[in-house]
This record gives sequence, C-alpha cells and structure tokens, in this order.
Amino acid sequence: MIETFRQVLEQSVARLSAQATQFLPPLFVAIVVFGVAWLVALLVRWLLLHAFKGERFDAFLRKTGIGAMLDHSGRLRASPLLAHGIYYAILLTGLLNAISVFETDITREIVDGVVHLLPKLFAAAAIIVAGIWLAQYLGRGALLWASNEGFSWARRFCAFVRVVVVFVSIVVAADVLNFARTVFFSAFLIFTIGAVFAACLVLALNHREVYRWFAGARRPGSEQEDERSLWQHL
Amino acid sequence: MVQDILPPEARQAVEKLRRADIVIGIPSYNNGRTIGHVVRAAQAGLNKYFPEFQGVIINSDGGSRDDTRKQVLEAQLDPSQLLLLSTPLNPVHRLSFPYHGIPGKGSAFRMIFQMAHDLGAKACAVVDSDLRSITPEWFDLLLRPVLHRGYDFVAPYYHRHKYDGTITNSIIYPLTRSLYGHRIRQPIGGDFGMSLPVIETYLKRTDWETDVARYGIDIWMTTIAVASGYKVCQSFLGAKLHDAKDPGADLSAMLQQVVGSVFSLMIEFRDVWMRVQGSRDIELFGFRYDVGLDPIAVNLDRMIQAFIRGESDLREIWSMALSDRTLRELAALAQSARPAPADQFRLPDELWVNVIHEFASAFAELPAARSHLVRSLTPLYLGRVASFVNETRDMNASEVEDRIEQLCLAFERLKPFLVERWGGPRVDEFPPQPAAAPGRTQEVTS
Repeated sequence: MIETFRQVLEQSVARLSAQATQFLPPLFVAIVVFGVAWLVALLVRWLLLHAFKGERFDAFLRKTGIGAMLDHSGRLRASPLLAHGIYYAILLTGLLNAISVFETDITREIVDGVVHLLPKLFAAAAIIVAGIWLAQYLGRGALLWASNEGFSWARRFCAFVRVVVVFVSIVVAADVLNFARTVFFSAFLIFTIGAVFAACLVLALNHREVYRWFAGARRPGSEQEDERSLWQHL
Repeated sequence: MVQDILPPEARQAVEKLRRADIVIGIPSYNNGRTIGHVVRAAQAGLNKYFPEFQGVIINSDGGSRDDTRKQVLEAQLDPSQLLLLSTPLNPVHRLSFPYHGIPGKGSAFRMIFQMAHDLGAKACAVVDSDLRSITPEWFDLLLRPVLHRGYDFVAPYYHRHKYDGTITNSIIYPLTRSLYGHRIRQPIGGDFGMSLPVIETYLKRTDWETDVARYGIDIWMTTIAVASGYKVCQSFLGAKLHDAKDPGADLSAMLQQVVGSVFSLMIEFRDVWMRVQGSRDIELFGFRYDVGLDPIAVNLDRMIQAFIRGESDLREIWSMALSDRTLRELAALAQSARPAPADQFRLPDELWVNVIHEFASAFAELPAARSHLVRSLTPLYLGRVASFVNETRDMNASEVEDRIEQLCLAFERLKPFLVERWGGPRVDEFPPQPAAAPGRTQEVTS
C-alpha cells in the first residue's frame, strides 16, 4: 500500500518535473520577451511624446473635425494619440511573440487568429470612425436645413439621420468582421423598411398639409405675402 | 493666363466685331419683363454720353424660358427722343448669348468679362437686368470715372429704403470697411464699372467655379479690386428699385454664398487686411439728391422666432465657432426674447461684431465645416435684422445712416481682437487708434 502510494507520488513528481522542465524555460523566455517588448514600448512612447510634434496631423484632426469628434474638449493631439497607439501595438506584438514561444497548438491558433483578425479589426474600426464622422456631418446638414425651414422637429430629424448613418456603418463593420452578419443585416432591413413605411404613412395621412407646405415654400404670395423679396437682403 | 470660356457663337461675334471701346454687360435669367428697359437705358447712355466710342451691349443669359433674349435683341430706341447734341459715330451693337457653366450671376459675368477682354474694351459696366430705376445717366456715372479719371473700379452708391440691403448694412459693408479700410457703401450693389486691367485680374483667377459663380460675385469683384490696390471710387446712382421677383435660391444659400465669399477672401488677403487700421472715405461722383423709395414690409415676429429657434437648435454648430462667452450672451438674449414683446428685441453691436469675427475665424480654421458654419448664420442674421428694424423704426434716412456708422465703428474698434485671433499682434500691442471721423462720404460732382 505504502509502496503503491510512493510510486504514484514519484510518477506525479516526475510528470510535474517533466512538465516544469518542458514549460518553465519557454515561460521564462516568454516573460523576458514580453518584458523587453514592454520596455521598448515605454521607451518609444516616451520618445514620441517628447520628440514628435505632429503639427500637421494635429491640424488635420482639427480641420476635419475628427479631433473634436473623438475628444469633445477638442484637445486631442497627434503625439499622444500616436504614442499610445504605437505603445499598445508594440505590447501586442510582444505578447504574440511571447505566446508563440510555447509552440503548442493552442498558442499557434491564438497567434494565427489575432494576426488574421487584426486587419479586419482595423478596417472595422475605421468604418465605424468614418461612419460617426459622416453621421455628424450629415446630421448637421439635416439640422440646418430643418431649422432654417422653420421645422419644430429639427433636432429629432438630425438625431434620426445620425442614428441611420451610424447603424449603416455598424452593419458594414459587422460584415467586415463576419460577426453576426445575418442578425445585423436583418435588423437593418427591418429598420429601413419600417422607416420607409412610416414615412409613406405620414405622407398619405397628411398629403394635403404636405402639398400646402411644398407649394407655400416655393410659391411667393401664399404664406409669405408679408415677407420681403430676397433681393432686398443683398 | 486667361482661359477661354466663350461658347462658339460668342467667339464668332467677337471675331466679327474685332474691337469695342465700351462693353455693357447684363446678366439675366427670366427677366423678359424688365430687361428691355435696361437695354434701352444702356443704349441711350452710350448714344448720349459716349457718342465717339464704339459700344457693345452684351446679355449673358442663364437659359431663360421666357422671351428675355428676344427682348434684348428687339429693344428699340428712338434717338430723336434723346435730344442728342452730337450724332453717335458708331452704332451700338446688342448681343445675347447663353453662358456655360454653373448657373449664376458670376458665371454670366465671366462670359461678359471674357468678351470685354477679347474686344479690348477700355471700360466695362455691368448692371442687373431687373432694375426699374435705371437711367442712361447710370452708364455715364459708372463709365466716365474709368474713361476720363483713371479709376479702375467704380462701385455704386444708392439711396435705399432703411430695410433694404440688410446683408449689406449688417455684415458686408461694416466688415469689408473694417478689413480693407475703404468706405465703399454698396460693395454688393450689383452695378459696377471697371477698367481692362481689373477685368484681366478677374479672368486670371481660378476660383470662378466656387460661390463666386453665384451671389458671391459682387463682393468678390469689390474685394479683389480693393485688396489688389486698384484705384476705386463710387458713383451716386439715385434709387435702386428692383423687380419684385425672387431668385430661385433661399436666404440661407444666398447668405452662404455672399458671406462665404467674404470669409474666403479674408483667408487669401490675410496679409492685406491685417495691416489695415481704421477706414477712409473714397471719392464719390454724381449729384446727390433725395428720392422716394418703395416701402418694404418686414415680419418681425418671424425673424425673432427664427433666432430663438436657431439658438436652441443650432447651438452644437455655433459652438464650433463661438466662444463660451458669446454663446452665453446669445442664450440669454434668446431667453429674454421669448416672453418679451417683439419690438423690444435688441442684439447689441458688440455681440454682433464678435459673432461675425468668431465665425470668420472658424471658417478659416475648420475647412470641413465651412458650409455648415455659414449656413448656421441665418438665424443670427435674422435676429440682427430684427434688432435693426426695432432700433430704426422711427428714424429717418440720415439717422439710419448714423446708426449703421456706429456699427461700422464697432467693427473697426474690435478689429484688433480679430487680428490677434488670426495670428497677428496681440491686442495690447496695437497703437491707439485715432478717433474715427464720421463715415459720411464726401460729395464730389463730376
């Protein structure tokens, strides 16, 4: 009994020892690799924060409105953005290298998955950012049009335009990522058909008012009888 | 290098005529009702005041669906009614062609300028085709300073109803005056005289396909003439009475084109206007007299409601241009305007100047948002007009001019802040300005 117990214990210790001798060196190497990557990332971030001014990129962010969109205070600057971006990119590279040291099936799958997914993730992120920017731009255009036309629902219309554009960008991004493709596409179809149906219903139920507004807005002398000629503004 | 944009039929006409001393240009679009009168006035003006010159009247039409072009070509004038002292040596040619390109007054002018240039005209005048108050004397007053006094650009000076020309009175005149230092009272008047060198300068430019093609053309012409250092004067033309027909554009688009052109030119001529301080009178030709003017109805409530609605709806867009302080003041104004009677509404000069200056700065700073920024000015402009109407309700023409002068002085006084915002010297580095003389133009008879 004691002998058997001793044998089991010895086998366990041998197995553990074998596993330790097999995995500890790679683990140590992985920690070293990740640690080096972390140090390099810290160094590069520090250098970029202190050496890179990125005035042109700052101007681009400011002029296109992307800076204000990403950071409402409007204080978003190129150098911290770039420095943090590169910092995390180096960390991720270090992590992947560290994982690949183990050379197991699982680690190989993880590394392959991340390498294949990364471009798609970047593309999806770019689509979302572009979608938000476009939603903001088109929403503002819609807001201006509706407000200058005197509609009381100008802000709601602006919000609707934004939601639609952001939703479209999410659908496209999901398609790129191959993530719940059918669900998003179905939701988009239902939403679009619903919106068109609602608009048709509103037009059908209020066609006289819509016609009156359309005719009044374009023909002088109806509701604008007491308003002066546009020439007289110049 | 001047690019040739003439349509084939216009090119043929130029080759047939070969040369002309004076070109009178009339842009049109569905102006069949009024253009005949304008053409006859031009013809009479050329016969009466410039009998020794070879004159051509060119109608540049934007594809009218009425009989505008027919009216131009068939406009008849009985010379015996003019009581001419000398017989004209040359017949006045009348031409009418459709222009190509973006539909708008600017594109029409481009074709006229190209023809004037190719004909080697010594002077060119352009007038609107819907004018009811135009007389042959207008052409004498627009052309003679160029032909006989060596001026390059003649701007109009009219008597207008106090509620007429509100974009001019509230934005364009005070702003261009403070920027470039010339007191040109009607910088977007629409009727101008100019010399060949100015026309060449216009034709060499590459921004014809922008807002300049539409309503931006008038301020573009005036600003370029002034900022390029050409010799500029004004001529008193009497009253300006238009046909009551509205153009196809809405107020917001019109404001965008005019104000957008001013702001764009501010970017281009930054080095010119940042050096200018104060303003000076420029010579005014013509004999000034008072005239009766058509009354103009204004809907005060609608304008104030547009301002209040704009303040609540467009804050997001305004915040891209306006400082927190200006936004707070506008919010307080809208808040107080809601319960108060419409005739008590006031938008103070200083606040208005800050609004315009801050929008101009944002226009330069945020190219992607330019169109939105300028379109969002509409409710602010309507608020300012409502305030102006309230302030001048019981004023006569002279008092109204004094009121506009106060606004101009506010623009000049606050210009150092604009210069600082555009990267110029700090406000405290500016030398103290001498007290500005009242902005009345001097009267000089021709």
